[in-house]
Amino acid sequence: MARNNIVLGIAGSGGDGIITAGDLLMKAASHDGLFVFMMKSFGPQIRGGESSIRLRMSENPVATQGDKLDILVVLNWKDFPRFKLELLLEDDVVIVSDSADKFPEEDIPIEKSKMKNWYKIPMAEIAQESSGTTQSKNIVMLGIIAELFNLPKEALKEIIKIRFAKKSQEVIDSNINAINAGQNYIKNSFTKKDSLEFAYEKQTPKLVMEGNEAIAYGAMYAGLDFFAGYPITPSSEIMQWIGRFLPKYGGTIIQMEDEIASINAIIGASFAGKKSMTATSGPGISLMNEGLGLASITELPIVVINVQRGGPSTGLPTKTEQSDLMQAIWGSHGDSPKVVIAPSDVEDCFDSTVLAFYIAEKYQIPVIVLSDGFIGTRKESVDPTRFKDEHYGFKKTNQRLTPTKIELVDYKRFKYSIDGISPVSYPGIEGGEHQTAGIEHDEYGRPSSDVDVHRDMTIKRHAKFKAIKEEFNFDRFYGPDDAEIGIVAWGSTKGAVKEAVMKANASGIKVQAIIPQIIYPFLVKPFINFIKTKKNIMIVEMAYSGPFAKYLKGFIDFGKYGVKTFPYRIPGGAPFTVEEILNKIKEVAKEK
Amino acid sequence: MNKYTVKDYKSSAKPIWCPGCGDYGVLNSLYKAFEQLQIPPHKAAVISGIGCSGRLSGYMNTYGFNGVHGRVLPVATGVKMANLENTVIAVGGDGDGFSIGGGHIMHAARKNIDITYIVMDNGIYGLTKGQASPTTPLGIPTKTTYYGNVGTTFNPIRTLIAYKASFVARIFSANIKHSVDIIAQAIEHKGFSFINALSPCVTFRGKDQYDYFRNKSMIIPDDYDPTDEVKAFDYANNEDTLELGIIYKQNRPTYDEVLDTVRIKAKKEGVPSKLGLLHDFEV
Repeated sequence: MARNNIVLGIAGSGGDGIITAGDLLMKAASHDGLFVFMMKSFGPQIRGGESSIRLRMSENPVATQGDKLDILVVLNWKDFPRFKLELLLEDDVVIVSDSADKFPEEDIPIEKSKMKNWYKIPMAEIAQESSGTTQSKNIVMLGIIAELFNLPKEALKEIIKIRFAKKSQEVIDSNINAINAGQNYIKNSFTKKDSLEFAYEKQTPKLVMEGNEAIAYGAMYAGLDFFAGYPITPSSEIMQWIGRFLPKYGGTIIQMEDEIASINAIIGASFAGKKSMTATSGPGISLMNEGLGLASITELPIVVINVQRGGPSTGLPTKTEQSDLMQAIWGSHGDSPKVVIAPSDVEDCFDSTVLAFYIAEKYQIPVIVLSDGFIGTRKESVDPTRFKDEHYGFKKTNQRLTPTKIELVDYKRFKYSIDGISPVSYPGIEGGEHQTAGIEHDEYGRPSSDVDVHRDMTIKRHAKFKAIKEEFNFDRFYGPDDAEIGIVAWGSTKGAVKEAVMKANASGIKVQAIIPQIIYPFLVKPFINFIKTKKNIMIVEMAYSGPFAKYLKGFIDFGKYGVKTFPYRIPGGAPFTVEEILNKIKEVAKEK
Repeated sequence: MNKYTVKDYKSSAKPIWCPGCGDYGVLNSLYKAFEQLQIPPHKAAVISGIGCSGRLSGYMNTYGFNGVHGRVLPVATGVKMANLENTVIAVGGDGDGFSIGGGHIMHAARKNIDITYIVMDNGIYGLTKGQASPTTPLGIPTKTTYYGNVGTTFNPIRTLIAYKASFVARIFSANIKHSVDIIAQAIEHKGFSFINALSPCVTFRGKDQYDYFRNKSMIIPDDYDPTDEVKAFDYANNEDTLELGIIYKQNRPTYDEVLDTVRIKAKKEGVPSKLGLLHDFEV
């Protein structure tokens, strides 16, 4: 049966070259203009250990990784059991493995009924014969599955040429030979291809980005001048990407000694007038909380990226969760307003970062971009035409408000204003000298512990929230307005929610979802407009303690609007499947 | 004639330190060093931590930043690297610098960030009213060491030389003339300059601390060569005497100079437009 949308998984040991193989296939698909969605999964080991990729390829745009695999390729069965919950299989899954793998069949955690379509192919042997080493097994495997399922064969060879362009012709030739050897084996051994045939029209090549790269690119686009950071999984790619490009534009990147130093350095750079940012994950944010308060009370624009991982402490460094929400909103001690924005997919990582700089610089407030490992490290096709100045120009060009000559006569750095914004000078501006302080201060910046000064200043700093709430609105709704079932979700759960909503509506259950981008300050009024039209609302989040549901209930009395809520919260690790959310929608639909 | 005089560097705020505090001497020396170097107030930033000494930035009519406890060096690093035209002075006390902020010193020193760091060292926590600090002498009672201080006293000069700080000096707050000279040289030094300022706390260490520092200190002879690391360690190791002056000095590239070579390397590979960065995502 010809299909234009398939989900493929490859599992094995770290040394099997699974990531390389997945990357080549993903690029080949993008080269042929397909939409792709690729996740990598590892154990915590640095080298070796188990690894897997799952790759969805489709003629049409895709929002999720796809619930279940149509094709499972296993290079090492002993590593497969660790992925049994991450690589769920369709009933008619086709399995391809190395016939030399002597792992006992009865120990494979797959139902017998799903093991009917199983190709055991001597991959290592073919590799040995064609190239004199079994190391090319992963590339041979690509040739095998490309031929078997009609995956992008010619593009694979093109990609190999591009990928190894800087290496010798010998390297390119041996990799192409390996592909050919895999293809020839299938051609010679089977009279016809598998009944699962991938079929598609070629389109113009697609661009592929990871969420972390999209954040880095968004920051560069927004005019980032200064980056200070400390490596941490799963956010390090942001710093790495910025390190490649920021120096080209004369910007500054510093690897600091820890996250505390990182946030204080960007606060210093912001004080000196530069657009500044750091990126980290949960443990780093824990260390940065004092600094976030400092940026809040000194009213200095900074952008802090949190690519959330799972669990407390070291937790699940390589996996995803949405459990840092409360820490982002209420994290630092004292009343310390900061803005929290959540990207919902890879493209949105770019948008959210541009928006973060816009808000930070305009409102002189720290902004946290709350991404997660799922968006951060997956690869997605992106639409190149969306990256245009006319979409973002107004946000990019925004600068912080600096004092006029008249204002400099008796310069008040923290002058009271309705929207909480006061003109800010920086070293180099004559007459703008002042002290900025983490200690409570008056309009001039002079330390003060007077109760009235603290009250007025706290209110001033929070006035920015009112202004932000007036400037922005919700704009991400999926499903019909007249649906009585609503879903509220945030961040990376968007993909699964969106697909589940589409499926539910197609099957006759009317559902509408709302996915806020600005999480805090909470845009109460438009949210009430949403819930007023609903009877039952699901609150979906990947955090077992349910912080998002509790957060919403802190602002909204759902009962007052006759709305019943159905929190749907799971611990993280593996992202939601569409089916999980769809099943929950069906449950809620049975409610009166 | 000088464009700027001491009064141009004084803010309207009056210091609230105790009468007799050593920090007055450091502040006055800093005013005079600024005057001597004719630093425009709007091109200078004084960054301070938390402690009595942390108040100092508020008494300067330059740009000032009073941050959180122990983080003066990361903030100063950010301010300097954001704009090299700024003269950046970091100030704090022995608790702020050597206890809570101790981890930052080696990195500012090894990176050779072009800032001056003055630690006003009185061997006590003054602002919180008399608890032990890393430079409190062994055995003396404080509020948190009721029966006597237990931890061995930290030797900042020895540590800073070991960190390869490119300028290591000691001053005594009561010797203004000498302090002005050393601070001015520290600011002019290209790279990370560290000054340990003996700055007595009359309230919690007693007036005796002046006599103690006076009796124990001596000004380094003119013929001393501060680039001699072995001699510098000799001075640092001899804890019976507190040498005043530049104890160690080394000329090596600053962080910004090295970063500039990185920028040149990066630019050689081409500088696309910001939107042109999109090419990086082609397969």
